[in-house]
Amino acid sequence: MNCADWEERVALYAGGDLPPAEADEVERHVADCAGCQVLLSGLRESLALVRDAHREPIEEAHLASVRARVLSELERPARRWRWVWLPGLVAVAVVVLFVTLWPRSELRMALPPPASPSAPTVAKVVSVPAGPVQRTVQTVRTVPAPQVSGSIVVRLETNNPDVVIYWIAETKGETK
Amino acid sequence: MKGGALAFVTMEQTVDGPDSRTHADDLAAFETIMRQYERLVLVTAYRLLGNMEDAKDVSQEAFLRLYRNMGKASAAQNYQAWLYRVTVNLCHDAGRRRKPSVAVEDVPELVSPAAGPQESLAGSERQRILQMSLRALSPTERDAVVLRDLEGLSTEEVARALGSSEATVRSQISKGRVKMRNFVERYFRRRV
Repeated sequence: MNCADWEERVALYAGGDLPPAEADEVERHVADCAGCQVLLSGLRESLALVRDAHREPIEEAHLASVRARVLSELERPARRWRWVWLPGLVAVAVVVLFVTLWPRSELRMALPPPASPSAPTVAKVVSVPAGPVQRTVQTVRTVPAPQVSGSIVVRLETNNPDVVIYWIAETKGETK
Repeated sequence: MKGGALAFVTMEQTVDGPDSRTHADDLAAFETIMRQYERLVLVTAYRLLGNMEDAKDVSQEAFLRLYRNMGKASAAQNYQAWLYRVTVNLCHDAGRRRKPSVAVEDVPELVSPAAGPQESLAGSERQRILQMSLRALSPTERDAVVLRDLEGLSTEEVARALGSSEATVRSQISKGRVKMRNFVERYFRRRV
C-alpha cells in the first residue's frame, strides 16, 4: 500500500474527522512513513493558516450595510402607502401648469346646464392682461349635457386645434 | 402587516401579549437576531462566492427569507442551521448566475483596518491565500471545507446543510484539504 492510498485518511485525521480506531491506524502508518509525515505536517499548517485567516475580524461597515439594506426593505410596506397620493398630486400639478402656461391660449369651458338645457348663458369672462403674451381664459357658455345623464363635461379648447382637453365628472344624486 | 403574525421573541425580551407588539417591535427584535448571525451569513457567503458585493446580496436575501419564515424557524437553535442551509443554496443560485472570480483585489476589504499597517498587510495576504486556495476547489468541495474547516460545523451538520450524506461530505473534505495544502505549498514555494 503506497502513500496515495493513505492520503484521504491522513487528510481526515489532520482535521480530527476519523473515529479513534482509524485514527490509531493512521498514526501508526505516519510514524513509519516519511512521505505521509510531510503530507500531514503540510495539511496541519495549511489548515491553521486558513482558519486563522477566517477568524480575522471583518469590517463593521460590511455588516452595517447589509443590516441597513434588510431593515430598509422590511420597513418599505408601511412607506409605500404613505406615498400613494404622490402620482395623483403630480398629475394635477401638470394639468394646472399646462392650463396656466399654455402660450396664447384661449380656453373655453363648456358646462352642462344645471336645470334648463335650452338656455345657454354667458357665465363669466376673465381677462388676464399684462405680460408679453396675452392670455385669455373664457368661461363662455353652457351647452346641453351630452347623452350621459348625471355627468359634467368640461371642454378646454386651445389655439392649437390638435389639443382639446375633456374632463368628465359624475354628479351624485342629481340625475335629471 | 406581514410581520405582525410572527412572534419575534429573543432571550433579552419579554412580551406583554400578542396584541401589544407593533411592526417596530418586530423589527427591533429581528435586528437583534440579525446582529447575532450577520457575520456567519456574510462571511460564509463571501468564502463561497469570493466577491463581497455578491455576498452582501446573498446575506440580504437570507435575512429577508428568515424574517418571512420566522414562524417556521421558531427555536433559536434552529436559526443557525437554517441560515447555513439558505446561505449555501443562495450562493449556488448566485454562482449559477455568474462565473466565480478569484477577485484578488477584493480580498483585503474583508479585513478590519483596526489593526496596524504591518498586521493589516499580513492579514491581507492571509485573506488572499485563503480566498485563492478556496478557488482551487470544486464547488462541492468548497461548500464542505468552508462549513467544516472554517465555520467549524460537525460532519453531520455539514451533511444536513448541504443535503448530502456524511460519507460524501467526508470525501469532499479530504479532497478539499489536500488541494488547499497543495495550493498553500505552491504559493510559498513561488515566493521563496
